[in-house]
This record gives sequence, structure tokens and C-alpha cells, in this order.
Amino acid sequence: MPGSIVVAPLLDVALDALAERGANGAAFAGGTWIMRSPIRHEPLQSHFVAIGKILELTTISVAPDRIEIGAAVTHTALAAALADIPELDVLTAAAGRSANPAIRAMATIGGNLATAGFAAADCVPALLCLDAEVEIASRGDSERMPLQRFLDIRSTLAPGQLLTRIIVPRSVRSTAHARLPLRKAGDYPVAIVSLAVNRDAAARIQSARIAVGAVEPVARRWERLEAAVVGRPLEPERMAEMAAEFADDFVGRDSIEVPAWYRVSVLPSLMRRAAAAALGGRALSGMEG
Amino acid sequence: MAVSLIVNGERMASSADPMTPLVDVLREDFHLTGAKPVCREGFCGACMVLLDGAPALSCLMPLALAEHCEIRTVEGLSSGGTLTPIQTALEAHDAVQCGMCFPGMVVSLTHVLATTPSPTRDDIRMALTGNICRCTGYERIVEAALSAVAK
Repeated sequence: MPGSIVVAPLLDVALDALAERGANGAAFAGGTWIMRSPIRHEPLQSHFVAIGKILELTTISVAPDRIEIGAAVTHTALAAALADIPELDVLTAAAGRSANPAIRAMATIGGNLATAGFAAADCVPALLCLDAEVEIASRGDSERMPLQRFLDIRSTLAPGQLLTRIIVPRSVRSTAHARLPLRKAGDYPVAIVSLAVNRDAAARIQSARIAVGAVEPVARRWERLEAAVVGRPLEPERMAEMAAEFADDFVGRDSIEVPAWYRVSVLPSLMRRAAAAALGGRALSGMEG
Repeated sequence: MAVSLIVNGERMASSADPMTPLVDVLREDFHLTGAKPVCREGFCGACMVLLDGAPALSCLMPLALAEHCEIRTVEGLSSGGTLTPIQTALEAHDAVQCGMCFPGMVVSLTHVLATTPSPTRDDIRMALTGNICRCTGYERIVEAALSAVAK
């Protein structure tokens, strides 16, 4: 049976269309996951509502205390908009170096967060370590929640609910995103370590947020390591040693690309590179594509 | 209902399912077989076309979202039987191998040469990040592009 796709010009129109289509409908943002459904042997939904032309979903607003990102902002647009904001190096790197240029020009940040089946989404750990919140809207209603909560419930959202906005609080911090793709460029990462740290006048870590992506089915914070590094200097070698000590906090996922143990085994090295990049004010290290 | 597109300067229409990948419409409806559906997941770049002037993966673009867009395939890059500078350079450097990836390479290179003033080797390599060559022919392709820049 032929499918249908409605191009929504306004958010209200999209929410109405999603509500009317119910379980038979879905939002279509960049489409880089949906269009690969046949390869995953998954049927396409009957009806799609395209949200990529909605102005408020494709806008990035930068305020002194926060940054708001529309869910249909592409990776390319996001990386360009954040390039001059050093505290967000982690997100600039995540958006600007994932996959390949043509994918980045299509794929949206909302799609990256909402696609439960995509374990190697670069922006998820980056936004976890930035304490991001998200906004979910449906016809006549909206709700704001921490990103971690959204990751927990995203597979159970009711038909008609749409991720509309990502809110990133601003603060003085050093951040970095270290990833290991199988090929130097253009590939998905085997493992990701995203890091955000605040340091005191003596250059000791006051607080740290460390998130790991691609290793397990869903990215999550590395809370034991975060607690252990507080009060210490940001020393890459020592950070790597501590990461090795706590690496059994993760159970890797097996896949055709790499075995589970390998994903976990590269975490100390990625931690070292993330710490070095944060120290040097660089978002990326040599291991990354 | 038919979807209207502008392909290589010509208005065309397709009544394929609106979720049909654009690459299939180009090949099956319009018989423009330069773009290749190879990986169908956006990794290889063999299906690359210019969509409103920007490189786009036609395997991941549903027909309905290309409506009224201006699409240029590898068949539409040259005009009047005269090769473009990058096509001439690729031929002169004997850079064409099996031809599977090549239309996508030409499309990506056409864009970077048109939009980047004096692109460097790194600019060219970056532009080709999403174009995979199975014949390992990258170096001659990059050299050809640099020679086109120098002219």
C-alpha cells in the first residue's frame, strides 16, 4: 500500500497531523534512519509527517544562560552555530564529525536523540555531559524533562508526542568529545567518551560529567568515575588509569563490527584523549575521524 | 498524485510512492543511471546528486521531499558535450577506475570546487569523506581535483 508524507509548515500543523494519524504515523526529520528501514528488515510506517521545514524546529537560540536547539536542526547547522562557543566544544565535535558530510547535512539532532535503536548517536553522550533537557510536545500540551529521563521513556512515548527542543544550560567548563570509528572518517564510532569538567583556582576538578556512548545500547553517564575524579587535577594518564579501574561498569554490546569486549577496552584510551583535549581546549583528538 | 521535480534543468514528474528513494526515481522513472544505489544507507556516496546546489544522498531522500527541488545528476553537470574542468582533469589523470563510485565522486568534487575558493588537499579529502572507492583510487582523484584548482 502506498505511504503518505505530509510536509508540515508549522508546529501546530505537525502536532495535529501526528495526533490524527496516531499509531500509524510518525515524524520524519532528516530521514537518515527511517529511510534505512528496509535494510534493517523493518516495515515503514504508513504515514509520515515531515518536520524539517518548521521554522521553530530549525532554529538555534543562544542566550547568556542557555542554548535552545530546535529538534530539526541538522548536525551541520548545529556545528556551525556553536563553533565559537568553547564551553560547547563537546557538542560541536559530536555534531561536526559524526558520519559523513552529506549525512550531517540531513540528520537532525532530534532524530539523533529520539532514535532508540541507534546506539552510536554522537550527540547523546555529548548532551548528557552538558546536563541538557528536552521538550516534548503534543496537541495542546508540552513537557520538559532531563535528557536522561527522555532516553528512558522514548520508546514508550504516546503517538502524537514529538521531541521539539533541546535546552543546554551554559556554564564555564572545559569539554571534549573522544570517539573511535573503525575507519578514520565517515564511520560510526565503536565507543564515545564525552567529558565536561569544572576546575577550581588550583586546577583541581570541582565537578565532572562523563558520558559513554556506543558501548551499550543506550548512552549513559559514568557516575563512579565522575565521583572519583573530583578533587584531582585533570591529568590524562591518571584519568585513563581510573577509567581502566572502573571499566567493568559497562557491558559492551556485540555487533557484526566489533565484539563487546573491544568497545569496553578502548574506554581508558578515549578517556585519556578526552582529558587531553579538554586541557588543551581542543574538542577532538587524533583518534577521531 | 504526481510529484514534480526539476532534473538537470528539465521539469519532470513521477507518480511513484512518495517514500520511494529519489535514486530509484532517477534511475527507474527518468533513466538517469549515473547515480548508483549501492549501499542504500548513506555511507558510500555513489548515489550523490546536487539538490538545490548541495550534495545530497539520493538513497536517503524520499521523492516527496524533493518536490520542486532542483536536482542535478552527474549526467547534467556538463553542457553542450563539453566536459567540466573537473571532469577533464579526472580524465587527464586517468582517475576513473570501475566507475561504480565515480558519478558520486564527480558530484562531490563539482560542489567543493564551486563553493570553496582555492580548496586545499585537505578540503578536497574532507569533501570526499562520504564517497567510498572500492578500487582504492583516491590519490589520483585528489591529484586531479588539485590540478583543476590550479588552472
